[in-house]
Amino acid sequence: MPVNAIRSLEKKVALQLKDFFFTMQEFFLFSVRAFASIPKLKRYWRDFLDQATICGTDSIPIVLVSSISIGALLAIEVGNLLEDFGAKTMLGRSTALSIIRELGPMLMGLMLSARFGSRNGAELGAMQISEQIDALRAFGTDPVAKLVMPRLVAALIMFLPLTALSDFAGLQSAAYMAEHYHRIDPGIFWNAVYPRLVAKDFVVGFLKAPVFAVIITLVSSFNGFSARGGTSGVGRSTIKGIVVSSGLVLIANFYVSKIVLENM
Amino acid sequence: MIELDKVTLKYGEKEILKQVSLTVRDNTIKAILGPSGVGKSTILKLMLGLIKPNSGRVLIDGADITRMKESELYTIRRKMGMVFQGNALFDSMTISQNLGFFLRENLNLPENEVIRRVTEQIQFAGLEGYENQLPESLSGGMRKRVAIGRAMIFKPHMILFDEPTAGLDPVSSKKILSLISTLRHNNNLGAVIVTHIIEDVFNVADCVAVLYQGEIIFDDVTEKLHNAEHPFIRSILSDKILEL
Repeated sequence: MPVNAIRSLEKKVALQLKDFFFTMQEFFLFSVRAFASIPKLKRYWRDFLDQATICGTDSIPIVLVSSISIGALLAIEVGNLLEDFGAKTMLGRSTALSIIRELGPMLMGLMLSARFGSRNGAELGAMQISEQIDALRAFGTDPVAKLVMPRLVAALIMFLPLTALSDFAGLQSAAYMAEHYHRIDPGIFWNAVYPRLVAKDFVVGFLKAPVFAVIITLVSSFNGFSARGGTSGVGRSTIKGIVVSSGLVLIANFYVSKIVLENM
Repeated sequence: MIELDKVTLKYGEKEILKQVSLTVRDNTIKAILGPSGVGKSTILKLMLGLIKPNSGRVLIDGADITRMKESELYTIRRKMGMVFQGNALFDSMTISQNLGFFLRENLNLPENEVIRRVTEQIQFAGLEGYENQLPESLSGGMRKRVAIGRAMIFKPHMILFDEPTAGLDPVSSKKILSLISTLRHNNNLGAVIVTHIIEDVFNVADCVAVLYQGEIIFDDVTEKLHNAEHPFIRSILSDKILEL
């Protein structure tokens, strides 16, 4: 390979690395500003309520659909597997652990990444390219406090009940399939669930909700604020926000489980 | 008074502004003329502290804003109103909500005072009867008038206009220019108008700065523009509108 081509590649990689670290620095400062503006919540109470409705109440259907279908599917598949070992009565325990520790919060995180994250990215991106965010700054309003902080607090608060709802719906659908598909008595199913659940199982599951709330809100909002280049730029930033936040939700899901299970 | 002192601004490797120095005095209308994409709007953003220069200073009434924190800039920015090129109105709010938004947001005024100021701006912009409409239902000229009304809401000393007549029909353009002149005569306001339409400059501006390839190539009273010898200025005087 000619020396010039290597140098040009070197320069390109260096520029990309510089861009990456610069973006990370910007994201860090953006996140700090979002958290630092939480004391202004009283002033933006109405914005918080709007966002709580959007990410909380309005997200219930999609969370229910995903958790019910996964709960039912999990009961069928795991039940079939346990049947081979003559341990079908353990279905309640295995599905409960999977749903409460992992699938309930993760599905909720992925669904909200798609729903709440895409809305944030598109809405803030459109505001960015139409100079509405510049207008806020120009007239003396902090756009992070007005637009991002209420979203962050709403997600931090609403993701917890959504996780509980996701767990509940997933378990109920699993119990339904256990009774009607595997012919397991509901008493046996629930007996394998309740007495064996310990605090650690709930800590793993519910600790993920605030972690996902921070990831989804900040990543999607940051991408919205960084939108450039007209309507296609809004599309690009929205997609980037969803892809990055979904990936980070999956990674965080693994690490939260690992850290809590190893240390509790 | 707004002063740019040897301001240089780069986007990546590209130098947008090269050692630009510019003064806008109170109670005068200064136009910044130049072809599209030359960095005219960037100058307005620098004046508001929305972006920071790589070097040089931006002074508002003698205070250097280039080193100010965002929270300190909010007070400075209220001395100026800004009319964005695309108006930047909040599309989910009605006209009166758009006009009153920043008063409710940033000043602790009683609601009747907010309503009084909003009504005043609606009358000034000639938008009576449109108070409860959304911006999307108005014409381009009317939206621009809402944006001017919003820029006036804090009773600033100076208004910054980014291409105020771009994309408007001749009648609406005339209305907007007459509104700018009225502001100056009735309210004793100064203004900075960024434009690529040379006729607008001769219609309203007291003085003009011409920005070309990142540098100010002319900065004087508008009448003297006719005598400028720079080839670019000669070419725009003959073409009237810069379509570069």
